[in-house]
Amino acid sequence: MDKYRIMVIDDEKIVCDMAKMSLEQEGYEVETFLNAEPALKRLAEQKFDIVVTDYKMKGIDGMEVLRTVRKLYPETRVIMITAFANLDAAIEALRSDVHDFFPKPVKIKELKASIQRALEEENR
Amino acid sequence: MKDIVGHLKSLLGLSRKLHGGSLPFTEVFRRFRDVLDNNNRALEIITDMGEKLGGDYLFDVNYIRDAYSRLSGVVAGAVHNFDILTRGRYGQLPKVFERIDSRVTGMIYDVASVSGERVFFYEDISWDMAREVGGKNSALAEMMNYLKLNVPGAFAITTHAFDEFMEHNRLNAVVEELRHGGPDEAKLARIRDLIMQAEIPAGLDADIDAALEKMKERCGGPCFLAVRSSGEEEDGEFSFAGQFETVLNVTPEGEELKAAYRKVLASLFSAKAAAYQRRLGYEPGKMKMAVGCVVMVDAVSSGVVYSSSPDGDRGTLIVNATWGLGESIVEGRTDSDFYRVRKGAEPEILSEQAGSKQFMIVNRTGGGTERIATPADRAGRPCLTPEQVKELAGVAMLIEKHFRKPQDIEWAIDSGGRIFILQARPLRIQEEATARTVHAPRPERPGPVLIKDRGVVVQKGTGGGTVFIVRNPGELEHFPKGSVLVAKHDSSDFVRVMPFVSAIITDTGTPTSHMSSLCREFRVPTIVNAGDATVTLKQGQKVTVHATGEGSVEVYEGINRDLIEHEERVSMKMEDVYEYRKKRFVLRYISPLNLVDPLLDDFVPERCKTIHDILRFMHEKSVAELVDSARYGTSMLKKQAAIKLDLPIPAGIIVIDIGGGLSVPPGREKATLEQITSVPLRAIVKGMMHPGVWHSHAVSLKVNDFLSSMMRMSDITAGDNEYVGYNVAVASGEYMNLSLRFGYHFNMIDCYCSENTRNNHLYFRFVGGATDIVKRSRRIELLAAILREYGFNIKSKGDLIIARLANISREELAGLLDQTGRLIAFTRQLDAVLNDDSDVELYSRNFIEGNYEF
Repeated sequence: MDKYRIMVIDDEKIVCDMAKMSLEQEGYEVETFLNAEPALKRLAEQKFDIVVTDYKMKGIDGMEVLRTVRKLYPETRVIMITAFANLDAAIEALRSDVHDFFPKPVKIKELKASIQRALEEENR
Repeated sequence: MKDIVGHLKSLLGLSRKLHGGSLPFTEVFRRFRDVLDNNNRALEIITDMGEKLGGDYLFDVNYIRDAYSRLSGVVAGAVHNFDILTRGRYGQLPKVFERIDSRVTGMIYDVASVSGERVFFYEDISWDMAREVGGKNSALAEMMNYLKLNVPGAFAITTHAFDEFMEHNRLNAVVEELRHGGPDEAKLARIRDLIMQAEIPAGLDADIDAALEKMKERCGGPCFLAVRSSGEEEDGEFSFAGQFETVLNVTPEGEELKAAYRKVLASLFSAKAAAYQRRLGYEPGKMKMAVGCVVMVDAVSSGVVYSSSPDGDRGTLIVNATWGLGESIVEGRTDSDFYRVRKGAEPEILSEQAGSKQFMIVNRTGGGTERIATPADRAGRPCLTPEQVKELAGVAMLIEKHFRKPQDIEWAIDSGGRIFILQARPLRIQEEATARTVHAPRPERPGPVLIKDRGVVVQKGTGGGTVFIVRNPGELEHFPKGSVLVAKHDSSDFVRVMPFVSAIITDTGTPTSHMSSLCREFRVPTIVNAGDATVTLKQGQKVTVHATGEGSVEVYEGINRDLIEHEERVSMKMEDVYEYRKKRFVLRYISPLNLVDPLLDDFVPERCKTIHDILRFMHEKSVAELVDSARYGTSMLKKQAAIKLDLPIPAGIIVIDIGGGLSVPPGREKATLEQITSVPLRAIVKGMMHPGVWHSHAVSLKVNDFLSSMMRMSDITAGDNEYVGYNVAVASGEYMNLSLRFGYHFNMIDCYCSENTRNNHLYFRFVGGATDIVKRSRRIELLAAILREYGFNIKSKGDLIIARLANISREELAGLLDQTGRLIAFTRQLDAVLNDDSDVELYSRNFIEGNYEF
């Protein structure tokens, strides 16, 4: 069976690199992007099972990534992470059918568990 | 005589007048608590940062900035309170804090700072200074300062000095020519010649001379130097092995050293070095050269360790060794001894082969080196013992683990058998096919379980080794590298052995203590509060400690290599992420602890290199300030209402209550034991009243004891303080300072005993006595033996002893205070019966067993 594909978008390299390292350890195929524009281009040509995106980014932000993913791949789950524990943002995101929302620093174990849940739901 | 009395008085604080500038004690106490509060908050933030940056969290720079700005604010507050508390006595501290603060701030806001210094001694170099001191210097300094390995004394001449040198001699323009039309040998030779004849700029010249003088002073005589290249990029991504010049055994004369310096700089432009740089894609003449001046080791044997076998077998390492200096090995000119060693908690020699080693290279008396025939009794004989091979293997594994890559390490062993590291650089090896099999299953049945799910995991991980139980800090001197440290209490003293510990387990302790943050910093698998590990685990037993991120704890009997290696493979992954290592580096200015022993002379603000050091310094000195202030308690008697303790023993204690120390109805002048609400005071008084410890019958003095007491009597007490005869306690609910004078000796106990373990301390000072100095000293020995048994840190001299303990839980502290109370009562007249040295052991054993008979 093919590996699950996960896309990670965050404008900080350390978040991308650490996420890639730890998710690859779980056997996922991971691609990372430092901003959303090339990520959306990539999404247009390739379906991902999970998209993990930063909420607040320069240019295209996490909410827009979410909307695009919804349009292209309704079954792909989106997990939002943010630098600020911003309640309004969390409410907005959750209303828009985001799978999960984590304030940074994110416990990697919890992120992994959330991804696993999302994949289970997708495959139901 | 007068001098002795003066000395004694000063020890007791009797000779010091209260100076006008001193703070009232209640104010001192308030500031003391403020410092503690700030310290605690700071340590909590440091703990949080250690956790979030520990590899289990995705974090971004915002987190670091936010956490650090909180930390910086809290520490600034503590420094301010501390400054008031100590009335500006440690004026350097705010400046030291400022310096560290600006360094950290520069790092997290990505403002590169280059010092512009020309020379650095290794003690002052850290890993992030590679651009200034070159790769080789920074790696060696890292091994000296962080891994605490033996590295010879050394200083670095920086890349900034190189820039000045090139500029001063207008060499940059000549170098520029290399880039046009390619670097041919004629151009390179010209540059080398120009460098060899170039003038050293005046500033650099003076700095080199000064460094050399300082180095000679340290050597305590002539010290010859190895002058080595340390290129900007050298020993980093690429090894540059053998590309540049090294000048060995340089005479410690300014001119000789400078000639060697020029020679090393010139080697940057050798044909082979230029070709090598070109192959790696470096623009010709772009690389900068720093230089290391390292004291020569008078080597009995030397050689090289490859921390992983170059054929790709990461499980074994290779040791090469020869007599004398190692240059012949490095240059492949001798048939040296060869060992293949299996890596692990207990390295195992798999194969060995002794070379004939007919020649050896040695230091020549007047400088330089020479090749001589190996003396007949040594040629053909192995130059290392199996123990030395294993020790080298242990050091190599430590270095590889730290730098996260296989290493090519040069070492030397001196006549004292000490291993010195002369260089470590990355070693290219074949990729091991199995190295990336992260999904290998965890080994089953690791062995009989000794401890399961007890205690708090401070740092997850797996480590194995021989159990070494540390009962008092002195025993750390003999800590065998690679052992599992087991102790009753956690202690920041353990930092001394931190790089060599496989795992730590303590019976008590908290995850926010000084030690805990060190364990996270050094990634030592650590479990605190494990109950009775010191009882369950036996000295010398082989064990494997396995602590997980979920907090589960397992200690197995035996060293399970498979489990340790499996866990290491899995956990090392995050460390391989460069961005992560780079960001995490900020912790190096925050969590490590360099100030370990407050009794040493270097316990000064200037030695603080991290935020943690500053916190430690302030805590220690705040306690000292408190102890000092409370010693003037007698002067408070005039101002404060003092209450006499009504006890069944004639201890004659008067209490000054500074808040919550007593609960007596107004107007009463006496308090019973039940009315003492100060936790520490009550505990110690209870101890003094313990059945059988307070001997009321007089112990007869021998003639010389009697004379001795006559001579000592009036001197000590004579003073202008009319209350000196009282035994005074200054107490609050959580604090006590008790000064007791019994006959001719003095006890002073200072204790903070709160719910917050980290705040707590117990300080005990004992001095004097009526008998002759031999007997008095015996009593000190006895006290030391007993206090050591209870885990105290001890310093003694003549008839003075100071014992200290900190970071102890309230419950345990109450028990220790009870014992201290008994000890004070028990030893009151004990010196008179200590007629010979064997009595010391007898009575100390009796006391520990609860037998208080004379």
